[in-house]
Amino acid sequence: MISTIDEVFCIHDRLSFGLTENGTDKNNRLFGLAAPDPIKCRTREEDMKRIIALATAAVLLASPMAMAQSGTFRQAHEYGFGAQSSLDPISNGRIFQITEKIMSRLVRPGLDGRPSPDLATEWSANEDATVWTLSLRDGVTFHDGSTFEAADVLYSLNRVLDPEMDSPARSAIAMIEAVEALDDMTVQITLDTPFADLPLQLMDYRLRMIPEGSGDTIATTGIGTGPFMVETFDAEGTTVLVANPDYWEGAPGVARMEIIGIPDGQARLQALLGGQIDMERGITAQQSVMFQNSDRFTIQEIPTGNWRGLVFRTDVEPFNDLRVRQAVRMVADRQELVDLVLGGGGIVACDTPVEPNDQYRADLSCPQDIEGARALLAEAGYPDGIDIDVHVATLEPTWPTLAVAYQQQAAAAGIRVNVVQAPTDGYWSEVWMHEDVSATRWNERPADQALHEIYLSTARWNESFYQDEAFDALLAAARRELDFEARRALYVQAQEHLQETAGTLIPYHVTRLVGVSSRVHNLDEVKNDAVRWHLITVDE
Amino acid sequence: MLQMFLRRLFLGAITVAIVSMIIFAGVEILPGDACTAFLEREAQGRVLENCREELDLNRPAVVRYLDWASDALRGDLGVSANGQRSIAEMVGARLQNSLLLAACALIVGVPTAIFLGVVSGLWRDRPVDLVLSTGAIFAMTIPEFVSATVLILVFSVWLGWLPGIVLTSANAPASEFFPEIILPVVVLAMVMTAHILRTVRSSVIEVMNSDYVQMATLKGVPYWRMVFRHALPNALLPAINVVALTIAWLLGGVVVIEVVFNYPGLGRMMIDAISDRDLPVVQAIALIVATVYVGVNLTADLLTMVANPRLRTLYTRK
Repeated sequence: MISTIDEVFCIHDRLSFGLTENGTDKNNRLFGLAAPDPIKCRTREEDMKRIIALATAAVLLASPMAMAQSGTFRQAHEYGFGAQSSLDPISNGRIFQITEKIMSRLVRPGLDGRPSPDLATEWSANEDATVWTLSLRDGVTFHDGSTFEAADVLYSLNRVLDPEMDSPARSAIAMIEAVEALDDMTVQITLDTPFADLPLQLMDYRLRMIPEGSGDTIATTGIGTGPFMVETFDAEGTTVLVANPDYWEGAPGVARMEIIGIPDGQARLQALLGGQIDMERGITAQQSVMFQNSDRFTIQEIPTGNWRGLVFRTDVEPFNDLRVRQAVRMVADRQELVDLVLGGGGIVACDTPVEPNDQYRADLSCPQDIEGARALLAEAGYPDGIDIDVHVATLEPTWPTLAVAYQQQAAAAGIRVNVVQAPTDGYWSEVWMHEDVSATRWNERPADQALHEIYLSTARWNESFYQDEAFDALLAAARRELDFEARRALYVQAQEHLQETAGTLIPYHVTRLVGVSSRVHNLDEVKNDAVRWHLITVDE
Repeated sequence: MLQMFLRRLFLGAITVAIVSMIIFAGVEILPGDACTAFLEREAQGRVLENCREELDLNRPAVVRYLDWASDALRGDLGVSANGQRSIAEMVGARLQNSLLLAACALIVGVPTAIFLGVVSGLWRDRPVDLVLSTGAIFAMTIPEFVSATVLILVFSVWLGWLPGIVLTSANAPASEFFPEIILPVVVLAMVMTAHILRTVRSSVIEVMNSDYVQMATLKGVPYWRMVFRHALPNALLPAINVVALTIAWLLGGVVVIEVVFNYPGLGRMMIDAISDRDLPVVQAIALIVATVYVGVNLTADLLTMVANPRLRTLYTRK
């Protein structure tokens, strides 16, 4: 019940204040009082009272949403995995635009991005954060009528952990050693290492619960506990979803959804403009002008944790000299890069991969410093500057622009950049992590995961060959720290350490532009995986 | 005549064989292979080796070519690298859809083009000819993706009369493609009409100026009777070849149109396969398109021979 109240509280918050540009800050501030602590989800009693009072008001406000479903909502997916496309949430070919609507996680991001209850209603850890106990939600049924129980959680999680499955989601919860059922509605997760932020990892958009034993058929049936159920699945054409009237959070507002495979970005844009689909997430800054001053569309600007950047290998000359690494990053005027490359659609990052709205994001500043860079280069023995080859490919359309803009900025400090266009084919296998300087791109992940997967000395994808014992120690300490503030301080310290010593230039995080037809209402203005699909309604 | 036919058939087969080698070699020369493309960042060490092993990429190129070519001869195009489905099966519905699109465009385009070509040829240098010829030059020079985008903008976004892109799935029956198919057909017909119109026009002009037409006019044959009985049958001969070329272009060259309109035909399948680096599929489609191209041209040549006895001899006179 607690969680439902939390969610309603969020609705109230949005309805009464509206979500303006600084709405996120406002949410954070409000949630500072009432937000579930990441470790102990249960809220303190005085807050409870306040929440219940607000919730009563919110239920009144939200009650029209309980009306019968009507209308069809249409959305496209990229058909990016071609013939491998599947409804299996943990497979390589998962179609996220479908799984997000048909399956639920144990924990999901609240509107503020923090862990909030989904199929798990509360959770707690032992003292060193190695054993976690989760209570499951009562009375939830799968689309095939079976009841959601601990056995389904065990099955779903073990399936991800199974090396045979080779699921890309495994790295998110690799620290899990065992999952046991204490009873039908309680699950205990044992970790092989202290990990204070397990709920953050369980929020991973792929970790969705499926019925016990359904692994062989899930790829086509898509049976889950989500607000919508699969009627027909056709990855290449139109997949039809219908409302699940038994959804635990309340019946959805939309009767039917059509998720259509349209590989070409331009075609998706045309479909949105022509009214054939109602929403498109991949609008570019250049395209967004087509939606300005139109009463048929709105554009949501959603900050994401996706970043692009340039990797300077820390294990080769001249970048094995710390001063050179600092110099090549110091010359960047990041705001100018955001404006030039993204048309303003991004948020400056100071070489931290941690996304702007993450609770662990360090508040850093990194103004351009040409003189400082010159001095550092001279000190390192390069008074006449250096020549570097930056490798890019059109694999990521913004890389060439980024490299050329950086070339201009770096020239002022005597860093002569030669932009090398590498073929898209084989870029990841032959250029990235091979050449001394190459462009990179990553999709968002929780702070701990981003820092571990890309910067830890032993990380498989340590693209800059970054070896730093102090940094590794900070991360290990953070995982063990149960106190939120102390843990936050450690992650912030780790990011400050990165800014000081890293070889990777991360100038910005990309802001996602979502084009929405004005016939769609109540679409949460949050990141993809936090949208509550049962709330949306459409005009007939 | 039969000897002639066999000779052309043989030459056609040789052409397809050479094309198949070029396709295979082209795919080989590309940096990376199906495995590096599919695995992206994971393409390292053992994973990569296993994948190459699985797809038989470790054998010499010549051996793989011979295997592929002999299978293709027996109608077995192999299996796709992603998803391991039979390519022949995958191609079936797509080929039908492309043929549907091409047929609609032909039905609309060819009669229009011939009619307009004759009109502008007969009324040469009059206002109607000037308008048609200029229009044709425009239609030919504006790239399809531009005219497609403009049409979508006008008819789908502004006026809202027609759906902008095709959302029907590949396996749907032909009737379900209406009205979504209208805009792609119009764009294709526009480009096609322009080409055929110009050929017909110049051919009509040439015939109308020829000696026998002047002779007929002098003998007092009524104008329209002369046009229909004597001039047009000769003037339309070159059109057969242009129409044939257009059909071949329709099957291979509509890639852009299919992608812009999201039409589930052979062209879009090829683009999807290229971005998937599904090389077996790319090879198979390239081969199919090449075969169709050669086949259509062959048919056109034979038809021209049937219509024009002078071309039927095996040896050309010195």
